[in-house]
Amino acid sequence: MNLSFFDQFTSPYLLGIPLILLSVLFPTLLFPTPNNRWITNRLSTLQLWLLNLITKQLMIPLNKKGHKWALILTSLMILLLTINLLGLLPYTFTPTTQLSMNMALAFPLWLATLLTGLRNQPTTSLGHLLPEGTPTPLIPALIMIETASLLIRPLALGVRLTANLTAGHLLIQLIST
Amino acid sequence: VLHTTRALHTAQQRLAPLPPLPEKGGEVRYGLIPEEFFQFLYPKTGVTGPYMLGTGLLLYFLSKEIYVINHETVAAACILSVIIYGIKKYGSDVAAFADKLNEEKVAKALSVKNEAIKDLETAIEQEKKEQWRVEGCKYLFDSKRNNVAMLLETNYRERLLTVYNEVKKRLDYQVAMQNLKRQKEQDHMIQWVERNVAQSITPQQQKESIAKCILDLKALSKTAQAAV
Repeated sequence: MNLSFFDQFTSPYLLGIPLILLSVLFPTLLFPTPNNRWITNRLSTLQLWLLNLITKQLMIPLNKKGHKWALILTSLMILLLTINLLGLLPYTFTPTTQLSMNMALAFPLWLATLLTGLRNQPTTSLGHLLPEGTPTPLIPALIMIETASLLIRPLALGVRLTANLTAGHLLIQLIST
Repeated sequence: VLHTTRALHTAQQRLAPLPPLPEKGGEVRYGLIPEEFFQFLYPKTGVTGPYMLGTGLLLYFLSKEIYVINHETVAAACILSVIIYGIKKYGSDVAAFADKLNEEKVAKALSVKNEAIKDLETAIEQEKKEQWRVEGCKYLFDSKRNNVAMLLETNYRERLLTVYNEVKKRLDYQVAMQNLKRQKEQDHMIQWVERNVAQSITPQQQKESIAKCILDLKALSKTAQAAV
């Protein structure tokens, strides 16, 4: 079978069985399950060290209440990092090149941040619709613009990731041959 | 999923203590194929068995075009060589780094324990010293008691002396008073006698006494001349 450059972006099927779930869950196999050892083997030690580094980087600017987001943000980052890096190997499939998966990630998270902001601090979150220091005549127009950008955000997030990954992998394939 | 220990089919699962990790991982040949595979094939095919199997499989896939050589093959070869080079070059450094992380963890805990032990030892030393001091207290108390007794004695003696002096002063006063009185009486009496005698001496008696004195003197002068 002749492979074209776009074959890496088709969802993998084996004898009619979709393997997409396997390809999404495979990177989780690479990280060891937490066991109750204090001194772990070298692989676990290194991965834990890396996780600690990433979590600290994410969480230092936040105050105590923001640390609730630590788990989901770190795990999301590590998953996406692993999926994208594994996709660079030949004969692999990158799930994040599918628009469906990225929209599935972007839409709920964006909605979660929006609703959390509206529930906890409604005035501040609505106040973000207007940037500081705008001259008075521009206010109505700017509010419309900011609202539009807010609503477009999930689409932007999803499409951004898809486009970046697709373009990147394709470019790498092109350059390497 | 927690790794628990459990004797096969006999015991309940136990969360602690975990068996220690083995020193080295499973033996692997060429980084991919475990040694047990070679041992498994050894009785039937000898040493070259697995290599023949691998070569045969590879040639089969290539010749029957089950695996087609395309651009990704070249990419795979390049990526593989880079990965192997990276592992060979930096593998031991990374392993040393991971070991260092673990060592630091253990060292931190050990240092806590050691410092606790040291603190307790110094506490024991100080306690022993305090006990020795308490033993010495007996002598201290004896000497203090002696001091106090001496002070009391001294004070008592001083007060005794004061009392003696005061009493002596009063008695001396009485004696002096009596002496003075007697003296005064004596003086007065002498004066009275002298006054009376002086008054009683009449001029007649005066002349007679003077004449007598002259006669006596003459008699004496005679005898005195003889003595010379």
